[in-house]
Amino acid sequence: MKPPKFDYHAPTTVDEAITLLSRYGDDAKLLAGGQSLMPLLNFRLARPAALIDLNRVEGLAGIREVDGQVRFGAMTRQRAIEFSPVVARRLPLLVEATKLVGHLPIRSRGTIGGSIAHADPAAEYPAVLAALDGEVVVRGPRGERVVKPADFFQTYLTTTLGRDEVLTEVRLPAMDGKAGWAFEEFSRRHGDFALVGIAAIVAGDGARCTMARLATAGAGPVPVRLRAAERILESQGLGDAAIEAAAARAAEIVEPDSDLHASAAYRKNLTRVLTERAVRRAVTRLGGR
Amino acid sequence: MISRSPSLIGARVTRVEDARLLTGRGRYVADLDAPGAVHVAFVRSPHAAAHVGRIDVTRALAEPGVVACLTAADLAPLARPIRAESRTRGYRATDLGALASGVVRHQGEAVAAVVAESRYVAEDAADLVGVDWEPLPAVTDPRAAAAAGPFVHADLGTNVILEREFRTGEVEPAFRAATLVVADRFRFHRHAAIAMENRACLAAWDTGRGDLTLHSTTQIPGMIRDALADILDLPGHRIRVVAPDVGGGFGMKTILYPEEVAVAAIARRLGRPVKWIGDRREDLLTSSQAWDEQVDAELAVDGVGHILGLRATVLCDVGAYSMYPWTASIEAVQVISFLPGPYRVPAYRGAVQAVATNKAPMGPYRGVGRPVSAFVVEGLLDRAARRLQLDPGEIRRRNFVRPDEAPYRSASGVVWDTATFAECLERACRIADYEGLRRQQQEARAAGRSFGIGIASYVELTGVGSAIPASPGADISTGTEGATVRVDASGTVTATFAIASQGQGHETTLAQVVAGTLGARLGDVRVVHGDTAAGPIGSGTYASRTAVIAGGAAVRAAEAVRDKALVIAAHLLEASASDLDVADGVISVRGAGDRRVTLREVARAAYAAGRRLPHGLEPGLEATRYYDPYFGTASGATHIAVVEIDRAVAAVRLHRYVIAEDCGRVINPLVVEGQTIGGLAQGVGAALLEEVVYDGGGQLLTGTLLDYLVPMATDMPPITVEHLDRPSPSTLGGFRGVGEGGTIGAPAAIANAVSDALAPLGIEITELPITPERLFQLLAVC
Repeated sequence: MKPPKFDYHAPTTVDEAITLLSRYGDDAKLLAGGQSLMPLLNFRLARPAALIDLNRVEGLAGIREVDGQVRFGAMTRQRAIEFSPVVARRLPLLVEATKLVGHLPIRSRGTIGGSIAHADPAAEYPAVLAALDGEVVVRGPRGERVVKPADFFQTYLTTTLGRDEVLTEVRLPAMDGKAGWAFEEFSRRHGDFALVGIAAIVAGDGARCTMARLATAGAGPVPVRLRAAERILESQGLGDAAIEAAAARAAEIVEPDSDLHASAAYRKNLTRVLTERAVRRAVTRLGGR
Repeated sequence: MISRSPSLIGARVTRVEDARLLTGRGRYVADLDAPGAVHVAFVRSPHAAAHVGRIDVTRALAEPGVVACLTAADLAPLARPIRAESRTRGYRATDLGALASGVVRHQGEAVAAVVAESRYVAEDAADLVGVDWEPLPAVTDPRAAAAAGPFVHADLGTNVILEREFRTGEVEPAFRAATLVVADRFRFHRHAAIAMENRACLAAWDTGRGDLTLHSTTQIPGMIRDALADILDLPGHRIRVVAPDVGGGFGMKTILYPEEVAVAAIARRLGRPVKWIGDRREDLLTSSQAWDEQVDAELAVDGVGHILGLRATVLCDVGAYSMYPWTASIEAVQVISFLPGPYRVPAYRGAVQAVATNKAPMGPYRGVGRPVSAFVVEGLLDRAARRLQLDPGEIRRRNFVRPDEAPYRSASGVVWDTATFAECLERACRIADYEGLRRQQQEARAAGRSFGIGIASYVELTGVGSAIPASPGADISTGTEGATVRVDASGTVTATFAIASQGQGHETTLAQVVAGTLGARLGDVRVVHGDTAAGPIGSGTYASRTAVIAGGAAVRAAEAVRDKALVIAAHLLEASASDLDVADGVISVRGAGDRRVTLREVARAAYAAGRRLPHGLEPGLEATRYYDPYFGTASGATHIAVVEIDRAVAAVRLHRYVIAEDCGRVINPLVVEGQTIGGLAQGVGAALLEEVVYDGGGQLLTGTLLDYLVPMATDMPPITVEHLDRPSPSTLGGFRGVGEGGTIGAPAAIANAVSDALAPLGIEITELPITPERLFQLLAVC
């Protein structure tokens, strides 16, 4: 479990990183927190010619509030997000999701940009990005573009990120202060990838649901917005019957795969149960914090 | 009567080894430096079964930094195959070469060794070795494999490498007479040991002396030394095997592995130290695995729950090879040896078949067979209790061997020297507030929740002496250990043993036994172990034997030294030895405390000799003694697991856990609790998480710790452990073994708790681990 030989570069600017990426064509990997890439290298499952280490790039980490968005530099560590007062105030869903990411040492190294660019469908951050309908900022030789989650995640571990592009920023709209939220997931052990996770945000006005956002982790090759289930809540409200109907609809929408740890049928069941639990818990938080 | 420092035996002393082990200052094989050492990476089979054709090493050899690239043909002149012989009738041994030649029989088996200046270079070059593999059909289903070919070992003409049956009493009439027969097919899946430290070894060949020194992560340095003498054709005294600090073994490191032979042979061939540090992938592919049984079992009881008969057929998947020294019998036969449990079983038939498959070889793992026995018999007892509307505690009470029946010969022929089984049960029920738990269960059920309480009682044989070989039929001695206790001229004590420690705390517990017996201060006793050049002859640490057998030898050697010290002290004090007390390193005249000498003064006299010693007394202050407990001693416990099931997501939550155990005279409660809780964690793993999965082609699907799930701190419930502390009447010191018990009881207790929780739905657990997926399937059909 030693990695094969690779060239190592530690650029200090994004432009330098882009130049290096262009030079290696398809054969370089960006190193952010390394929590997924290093095991892949050590198992020799990834054999890039070069690693381009983003850890010394200036200005790639940090959390800013701009125009009703919270903007995260791609190299912002999950641990920093977990304890950020801005995130706690504006994106409590993200805090809850972050606590479910791996273990403390993993969150201390792992980054928001790395997690989203790696696009493991069982990871929490892609689900949060989908639920909040945020954006990622991508920079390449042809300049910068802003991508919505639906246009970013393609399938397992695959995104529309070009081979010479760097994900530089993640932008999440600040949550409505009166909305309720919950991230429910089921994993075999604490800190494991979710078999299924559900991110939920609801806003309401009495029994009326003015807005519902539901997204999955682990229930398919990409994070899925459960729009049909959201519509049930938005049209029928937040009573028991509506929540159960939305949860049942969620289980119908997803197309999970079977693997060693869970069958597709079990994942569909988890989608239903966790959607129901997430919405119910979100409802208890309605009305401001 | 001479007083000892008895308070030391039984004291909650913190572990002396922790100062280094917990601060990162331990010295493991990977930490050892050897000048000029080269590193090995093995080229391992990607196939479960294949003919090995031409191996092309030219590209690998051309890689800068590569020293050698060796195949089976290169090592054959230096090392015989490993072969685990046994006198057991019908047993079939399998040859296992240091490197495979001709055929590989499981994924990960090594066919070539690349030796290089670093492990990085060795792995790069290993990628460049070209092997012409000709895949063969993989044998993966033991039931099919028992009936017909293809054969894992073509020369054997069968995959059944062992069959054994125990029979007592009139089984068929007992079943005909029964009021109730409960039966099930139980499945206990394959398990990996997952020691924190992977296997590793470092071999150095001294070309000047013709000596081999092998540092290895082994639990059995003595047995490895003896085996290597034969395999490498070297005189035993030319081989030194050292187990330095070792990070966990759990039985998996009680095997002579091909890597140890290969590294030793390569060191001899190259004349340079050779280091192999196994990685986790190699560990999961090639270290011995455990359990993997299918058990068809039936229990016959009368109308009030008395056991009339028990019969079982066990199919054990033992993987590709019968490993040295234990053979493939170790796991398989233990299941039928211990199925009758701590109960009176008047009629018993247990039959087992050990079947070879193209998977990693089976070996002993904490509990060996007995977690499976307990899962089956405890599960059957609970089924009988449910049908008869008896409390699960009550059906056990009605069947336990009673204290006045000891020594009791079990239905499989094992002798229990004492029978404190009912006492363990009562104590556990009291700690858990069993009646209160049942009330809690009623309330939970009324509220629609699934809350369950599971009891498991077991007994195991520990500290097994020479009368009962730890591995039936194998030509190895497992019943004895030695101890050398030496007081040097500075008055400090060195106690040397042939056992080896993988973190159990022997440097503390054996020091307590020596200091307590000798009357020395604990801090003055240093325990040395794990080095065949250092002390008495012995085999190592396994089978819950060290406290009993090495502890017994320690008592004997320390007594001999104490007796001689008293003779010398009597001479120095001009008193009678029978009037002396010894404690805390001071020998004094009873009733005249100012007339005293220290152990240090006595030791000086012992080596200075002359007139400071009684006339004719041999100088020196040391003794070597051996101990054989002959039969061994019963160790038992009752476990109570409390669970709650989240039915919607099919998850088991461990709510609480109670253990009342009897490991005889407790040397150190802290260490016993550490052993018990550690064993419990592995039992929790077996019950809920850990499962080695191969696909139908023999490919390992659980090749990383992302897929092979070991329990973590967050998976453990609040635990209470209490000790009965009933000294064994049949061992020196009264000690019983306790290293494995936690793992034996837990799978059964947790399975019974889950079945109890789901009893209203008619679900009874037959398969471990109880994964969410399995539980989901069970709940789906309700």
